[in-house]
Amino acid sequence: MDVLQNLMNGFAVALTPQNLMFAFIGSFLGTAIGVLPGIGPAAGCALLIPLTGHLDPTGSIIMLTALFYGTQYGGTITSVLLNVPGEAASAVTCIDGYQMAKKGRGGVALSISAIGSFIGGTFASVSLILIAGPLTRMALEFGPVEFFALMVLGLSLLMGLAGKSMVKTFMMGIVGLLLAMIGMDPVRGSPRFTFGRMELMDGIGFVPVIMGLFGLAEILENAEAEFKQVFQNMLSSLVPTRQDIKDSAMPIVRGSLLGTVLGLIPGMTNTASSFLSYVMEKKLSKYPEKFGTGVIEGVAGPETANNAHANGALIPLFTLGIPASPTIAVIMGAFMMNGLIPGPFLFKDQPALVWGVIASFFVGNVILLILNLPLIGIWIKVLKMPYSILFGLILAFMVVGVYSIDNTTFDVMIMGLFGLFGYLLRKLDFPMAPVVLTLILGPLMERSLRKSMEISQGDFSILWSSPISAGLLIVAAVFLISSAFSFQLFGRKAKSSRAEDEEV
Amino acid sequence: MKNKTRSFVCAATVICFAVTVLVGMSMFGSVPMALAAAAPAKNFPATGKNITLVIGYTAGGPTDMGARIAVGALEKVMAGAKFDIIYKPGATGQAGATFVAKSKPDGYTMGVTNVPAVNVSYLDPDRQAVYGRKSFQPLANMVVDPGLIAVRMDSPFKSIADIIKAAKANPHKITITTTGLQSTEHFWSLRLQNLTNTQFALVHFEGTVPAVMAVLGGKVDVLFGNVSDVSSHVKNGTVRVLGLLDDRESPFLPPGVKTLQAQGIPLVGGSFRGFSLPGGTPKEIVNILGDAMRKALNSDEVKEKLSKIGLTWRYMDTPQFEKFWDEMDETMVKLIPITKQ
Repeated sequence: MDVLQNLMNGFAVALTPQNLMFAFIGSFLGTAIGVLPGIGPAAGCALLIPLTGHLDPTGSIIMLTALFYGTQYGGTITSVLLNVPGEAASAVTCIDGYQMAKKGRGGVALSISAIGSFIGGTFASVSLILIAGPLTRMALEFGPVEFFALMVLGLSLLMGLAGKSMVKTFMMGIVGLLLAMIGMDPVRGSPRFTFGRMELMDGIGFVPVIMGLFGLAEILENAEAEFKQVFQNMLSSLVPTRQDIKDSAMPIVRGSLLGTVLGLIPGMTNTASSFLSYVMEKKLSKYPEKFGTGVIEGVAGPETANNAHANGALIPLFTLGIPASPTIAVIMGAFMMNGLIPGPFLFKDQPALVWGVIASFFVGNVILLILNLPLIGIWIKVLKMPYSILFGLILAFMVVGVYSIDNTTFDVMIMGLFGLFGYLLRKLDFPMAPVVLTLILGPLMERSLRKSMEISQGDFSILWSSPISAGLLIVAAVFLISSAFSFQLFGRKAKSSRAEDEEV
Repeated sequence: MKNKTRSFVCAATVICFAVTVLVGMSMFGSVPMALAAAAPAKNFPATGKNITLVIGYTAGGPTDMGARIAVGALEKVMAGAKFDIIYKPGATGQAGATFVAKSKPDGYTMGVTNVPAVNVSYLDPDRQAVYGRKSFQPLANMVVDPGLIAVRMDSPFKSIADIIKAAKANPHKITITTTGLQSTEHFWSLRLQNLTNTQFALVHFEGTVPAVMAVLGGKVDVLFGNVSDVSSHVKNGTVRVLGLLDDRESPFLPPGVKTLQAQGIPLVGGSFRGFSLPGGTPKEIVNILGDAMRKALNSDEVKEKLSKIGLTWRYMDTPQFEKFWDEMDETMVKLIPITKQ
């Protein structure tokens, strides 16, 4: 009852015209920043920070948080329509979302992801209100050892990404791990594979790589033929069919859970959340072979997961005063500038502010849904542009976007290189998703293993010492063994059907 | 065939366009500098010519927030002068330092410099820095972020002496966090080992946040952190600070938190953030900018704004900052080889 009373008071704060306006500004800017590749939520929040000094603290924090989760809505749009991820977390949406757009179902993909985002964000906010305590205790249980076990589980799902050839999947997985090796090694601090380039000291930039592999490679491939209209059946419906909604329901539920839980763990990125959701959906699907050809589950799951992650990551900020991501650290800066210290005491000292901000998460998510659904009709018109003009715009967009991440042309060259590499991979029919998965998980896995070894001083038994890590490792082993078996069966079936074809 | 040619021409046009845009962007930054070289120091800073402040860290972080406060005050002190902030994050400040070191030494490019991070970047040969001590002209220091040693509220350790005793009894068993390999906390924890003749198990996290989480979750015994990141957790009552690595007590910590010095360990250290110019900047310009820094950084407005975001004000003028920088070089030269063992 207390909670309900507090939340109602919170809504009274969040629904004042002034705070509604702040939530709207935040949501609107968030969507815009999400659409622009290169400018991420952290940079967006940082731009607004000077403003917050002059505004009322509740309003400014509502605005910043709305901007933060709003970017997750916007990032999808360019992924689906142009195959260029607006945010790193939306990269995985390119795989199936863009194929849907090509089939004239881009509107459906965007509608479902807006709905999924809304549900994911709301689910995480409800969790913050109802079960923040247990969730926080769970997050604290996740030390380096458990993190490592989780990464092993993530990598064991790699086999689930296999298309026609398991060998090619593994090759691509290893390419991703090799790319992840670039940079300062986390053991001695010596540069690995940097070729004396300072720019590679932090490792290879993730966004330039995926922009090259997905966006640029696609453009190169389209440039082979005459610039015909790539997108057909433009005027098909924007409204998801009953079947679409049925197919997306479970991925949205699973994505909400996965994203909320992973969002709690500092060091876990929402890119990892969305990718793991994609791999999980493919693994659980009745028709995994269709993933990559434009199935709605491949959009619904990840898009829900990255929003649930964004809102879930705000939970430790309120319960412990811990910013689980760099963007939230910027938001925390806004609290501090106003003399507020996020954490349990804030609920007692400033209940109106805390509950107002929490209530604003619901308000903001509703605004984002209202803002995004009608816009889809407009966005989709972009595809009507002649492709020979559109692709030039995309290219310029990508170059400026990649440059603006760290203000360096080096990243633009990386993008170009990976564009060519991606083009070759497409021609040779190599799957691209495994590279990205291992490139995301590789560094996280290496560092958590290193930390575990530092804690145990080189004793490997620490890895299965805690129930959580032992459990995760067992699940990973089961996944590995079962997918090895099922792939063998699947391989045989494919072979025998091919043999039948030949007989006929 | 014709179609192919057409598409090729299209592609070429677009790529050329993109390249032009990029080249244009990079030129834009360098042209004013070239012109400025001829300008006499008397007119510094010339009207209509902006001073570029390079920040080698991400926008919105503590380095950036502190620097922006300074810029606000500098623009008031140097009537008419305008500052442009550009961000060159990467390789823990090395990207930004490279940019400053390679700029024209005319006073129109200035960098925010973190000591000892910058010292380490050129003293460690593995970092392959293209600059050295002589590439920088220290200008002024603004803030310090002192190191601290803390534990979880329910930890059995009640004082630094308890920790040292436990570490002596069980070498390599007491785990202690750093905020990263070669971070300031890494160096100061090595110093602590040397001074107290102990061996801890150092665990390198990526920044303070995961380190605090690991300590709160009981995964690691001792938190080696810094005041700006940890003070909020102290106020939330989740961690207890046992010792501060400064020569005085901190206004951001509860009264009674003693320095290590007061507890018999002569360890003082933190991360210092100041401003520097490219090496070889004319003396007159250094003096003009040094004067402006003195006026701006000593204003009540700057002190108050810094304290609001939890940064400890610690002004050093040009000669003091130079001396401090050189002393830091000597300390770091000895510590870097230990990190490679």
